[in-house]
Amino acid sequence: MRFMVMVKATTDSEAGAQPTQELLDAMMAYNEELVKAGIMKGGDGLQPSSKGARVQFDGAKRSVVDGPFAETKELVAGFWLWECKSLDEAIAWVKRCPNPMPGPSEIEIRPLYELADFGEIVTPETAATWDRLKTEIGDKS
Amino acid sequence: MRFMIIVKATKDSEAGLMPSTELLAAMGAYNEELVKAGIMLAGDGLHPSTKGARIRFDGEKRAVVDGPFAETKELIAGFWIWQCKSWDEAIEWVKRCPNPMTGPSEIEIRQIFEAEDFGAEFTPELRAQEERVWAEAKKNAG
Repeated sequence: MRFMVMVKATTDSEAGAQPTQELLDAMMAYNEELVKAGIMKGGDGLQPSSKGARVQFDGAKRSVVDGPFAETKELVAGFWLWECKSLDEAIAWVKRCPNPMPGPSEIEIRPLYELADFGEIVTPETAATWDRLKTEIGDKS
Repeated sequence: MRFMIIVKATKDSEAGLMPSTELLAAMGAYNEELVKAGIMLAGDGLHPSTKGARIRFDGEKRAVVDGPFAETKELIAGFWIWQCKSWDEAIEWVKRCPNPMTGPSEIEIRQIFEAEDFGAEFTPELRAQEERVWAEAKKNAG
């Protein structure tokens, strides 16, 4: 199963607080374990939402709202893409993670859709498009 | 510049409402444009949070909370990773996106940290380790 694992934002991350040397070391060592276990497929940290924007969609209308965004709970500070045998395995790995923030923090795990999950909604033409794109993106990684 | 493009969740996505055949086809066509333009590096949809979990970190303590999560505004329904020349380019591409939901929706654009953003804290040893880890991760992804 494939998962997105998200580090939720905090007031520290939104303030642009830099991680300490110790935290960077610990996170890199943890990422190394994840890679060796074949779990980690990718991951990145996000800049604060002051360097962000939102686009609101309503029918054909598109409105741009510049960051920052006040509700920290709505925001993400970083993420990984993982391949695990089950949600329980993903949870066990998250528990082993160093605390990614100086204070209390939260990590959210969400399974990713596979094309097969959409069943008959997907026409053969759309499935072929998605498969071709997956191949092209894979070649770029 | 690399960006994470986040499709925010809605009541529909949290209810597990499936996209229509037309929307899947439109998103496929849009993704095809993104790939041809060299913009799209990755992208996926997320299952509703009822199939997820959160782990709360407090010192050494790790507490697991099962989904679903009530605050839809806190949740994500999908994402892309994009490589763009500028902020404005990313915004323009988002504006061209089909509405990813049946009703009003929102897409958030966030810039991704690069190694140089970390300054002196990012020692040459850490940088080399990161490059090694990422190279192995890419092999896993392939």
